[in-house]
Amino acid sequence: MSKKRRSYMEFLYILPLLILVGAISYYPLYGWIYAFHDYMPPKPISAETFVGLKWFEYIVSNPVRLADVGRVLVNTFAMSGISLAFSWFPMIFAVFLNEIRCKPYRKFVQTVTTLPNFISWVLVFSVAFNVLSSTGAVNSVLVGLGWIDKPIAFLSSKDNVWFRMWLWLTWKNAGWAAIMYLAAISAIDEQMIEAAKVDGATRMQIIWRITIPCLLPTYFVIVMLNLANFLSNGMEQYYVFMNNFNKKSIEVLDLYVYNIATTGRGNYPLSTAISMLKSIVSVVLLFITNGVSKLVRGEGFV
Amino acid sequence: MKKILSVLLTLAMLLSLVSVSAVAEGEKELLTIDVYDDAANYNGIQSGWFAKLIKDKFNIELNIIASQVVGNTIYATRSEEGNLGDILVVDKAKFPEIVEAGLAKDISDKLPACENIMKFKTQIDVYNKGLTGEDGKYYGIPTEMTDTSPTSITDDVIYSSPMLRWDLYKQIGSPKLETLDDLLAALEKIHEVHPTNEEGDPAYPFSLWPDWDGNDNMIGPANVVQLTTWYGQKLKGSAMLMPDMTFSPLYERENAYYKITKFLNQANQKGLVDPDSGTQNWDNACAKMSSGRVDVMWYSWQVGFWNSVDRLNAGTAFRFIPVNDMKFYADADRYFGSDRMFGIGAGVEGEKYDRIMEFLDWYASPEGATFEHDGIEGLNYVVENGKFKPYKDNALMDNLPVPDEFGGGGFSDGNNAINQWIVSAICVNPNTGERYAQKYWQSYKDMTMTEMKKEWTEVFGAEDDVSWMKANDKLLASPSVDFTPAADNNDIIALRAEINSKLCEYTWNLIMTCSTDEEFETMWDAMVAELDGLGYKDLYEYDCGVWQPEVDAKKAAAGM
Repeated sequence: MSKKRRSYMEFLYILPLLILVGAISYYPLYGWIYAFHDYMPPKPISAETFVGLKWFEYIVSNPVRLADVGRVLVNTFAMSGISLAFSWFPMIFAVFLNEIRCKPYRKFVQTVTTLPNFISWVLVFSVAFNVLSSTGAVNSVLVGLGWIDKPIAFLSSKDNVWFRMWLWLTWKNAGWAAIMYLAAISAIDEQMIEAAKVDGATRMQIIWRITIPCLLPTYFVIVMLNLANFLSNGMEQYYVFMNNFNKKSIEVLDLYVYNIATTGRGNYPLSTAISMLKSIVSVVLLFITNGVSKLVRGEGFV
Repeated sequence: MKKILSVLLTLAMLLSLVSVSAVAEGEKELLTIDVYDDAANYNGIQSGWFAKLIKDKFNIELNIIASQVVGNTIYATRSEEGNLGDILVVDKAKFPEIVEAGLAKDISDKLPACENIMKFKTQIDVYNKGLTGEDGKYYGIPTEMTDTSPTSITDDVIYSSPMLRWDLYKQIGSPKLETLDDLLAALEKIHEVHPTNEEGDPAYPFSLWPDWDGNDNMIGPANVVQLTTWYGQKLKGSAMLMPDMTFSPLYERENAYYKITKFLNQANQKGLVDPDSGTQNWDNACAKMSSGRVDVMWYSWQVGFWNSVDRLNAGTAFRFIPVNDMKFYADADRYFGSDRMFGIGAGVEGEKYDRIMEFLDWYASPEGATFEHDGIEGLNYVVENGKFKPYKDNALMDNLPVPDEFGGGGFSDGNNAINQWIVSAICVNPNTGERYAQKYWQSYKDMTMTEMKKEWTEVFGAEDDVSWMKANDKLLASPSVDFTPAADNNDIIALRAEINSKLCEYTWNLIMTCSTDEEFETMWDAMVAELDGLGYKDLYEYDCGVWQPEVDAKKAAAGM
């Protein structure tokens, strides 16, 4: 009796959490119903508007459109992949930041690199526009010095879009991402470092043998979290930087959905169908990561 | 000190409120009207002089729900709730579905008694008959109807034509322009004599902006699509309406879309297009226009960002320069109204209904229309011998302070936020015998008879743009008809969005990145192939079907 009662009590403890998860994560899935209807405001959905898998067929029925969706997926994977591949960058940045001995200078660098994180992408773009447009600062200096005759079109260039987008992202995020590592570094046992110093280790050796190994657990947690957001690499950045010249390589899944849902009157069913596609790919990715984890660590997490 | 003042002011206001409500006692109480408004650029309760005007007159206040401000999704949410608003100002294309969904009220009982609105009975009858198929059944009131005729052109300028700076044009020797090639050569010379503005910032003949692409029911970059009207071709959705009133696919090489794209590309190859064209937005482009960094304009309203009275007097203003092989498409007066509708929300009943109709009828009265189009007597205009004369005509532009008796505040801040009228500004005001719009007043014409205007008349032998076009048979006037295009279904919406995005992407690349004619042709072929692959032909067939009834009606109205 008391045991049964206790388990009821314990269930009540987690009930608020379950309600939250239900309301925030599961209830919105009800919106998927729009992918199976021919919904158009102001008419509400009803039995007559049910069209089954029509919008999914619409995506795959036309080779040009299918190629478009493929291109968008490639962009998404490529840009998320690049930031994943460079995810060690903030860690290294934090390590070197920590090595700066002059404290005011260190604080200054840290503040300056953290600030961009608090600027919205729209403002970042207006900065970029003022600096890089044909009459912007960079072109004015280059033309003024006589190094080039014609202004360089930085913003409408279609080369290295993925890499340049990664640069902007890093400029904005690196300082912020480094905070976590700085905290981890301060938690490293001073005695280890002092012992290494007594043994005659150089600074590089200390970094390589002590600091980085101590940071690796933090690093893996952050990589794991980033993996979960692999497909949701946001759209604001790409939305503000997109133009008709770099569109082919900058359009990511979220942006593609946005463009379909808002151009003209907007097609809500089709954009819902495409964002469902995103969930499916995410689930596939999750199983792959889980499989890799099983192979490497011997245990999965699902 | 300030605090005491503000307390005193508040007290004074309260007292005056008490006295007003004492007078209004026994009359109507304050009524707040929700206006669902696709035209408004302001969201919230109307404030300032217009608010005071209607409060004193009807004891009402307007709560504007502006879809352009809060986002289009407000339309979906409010219609899900079953109540769009008390007064509806909506895009014409949406109105039939609003009526069908039961969101608009049948106003057949009250509308015939509104004598000011019913001055436009012909137009209202035609629209509602088309909507319901029945006589004497009313749901909607068209907006900006004119009292002229479906085929007349009252304006002396048309919506789009090539306009150059008069001083620069004179400086290069006022060449006669026969074709686009001549225009290009002239622009090259203009760029040579005017490489920068006075501050030394680079100036270009063309500075384009991509953020209007796909607007106004037309696919493709708005800048390119607009210029096709110089050759009498008007895009209807995705189908090009040719001067002979037949449709033709947009991308045919014989059509003006190709001609204009190629023209802009050649201009770009010669360095006559602002390199920021593909990446800047309208605000950037507009700032360049007002600082003299642009040498060509093509919208009739665009010159408002440069042509001031001073510049008109100095001869440095923009003016239409004829190119002889062009034939200009122009819409005749919008006799049957513009692209929006007035309606009443389905939930409006009883006394509220009466008061809303009373307000709307005043809105269409000469008094209402004068406030809407001309502003306040003693601020925007003065009356001399029964005619209006412009007074402070920068009141709207510079947000001049309004005298306290009219409610104070800035003129622009307090201006009518509904931003849509029943009576067009080109209607004749029965109180003055002149049109409402200032530019038709004799007093205004006398004030703006400048040297530049006289010179233009001397060179081209005509009083104004439209008379030149009429005299030289360069004008294709498209009669006004009552027509609402069928609303796209979801398939067409998706297809249109995709085609539009592909077309824009290719066109901008054609203009800005092709450095040789061969490259241009190759890319054009690739564009046609990709558009066809996406299903352009289906969209084209669909649009031809949708717009054919309008073409037939236009033909009938023109007596073709």
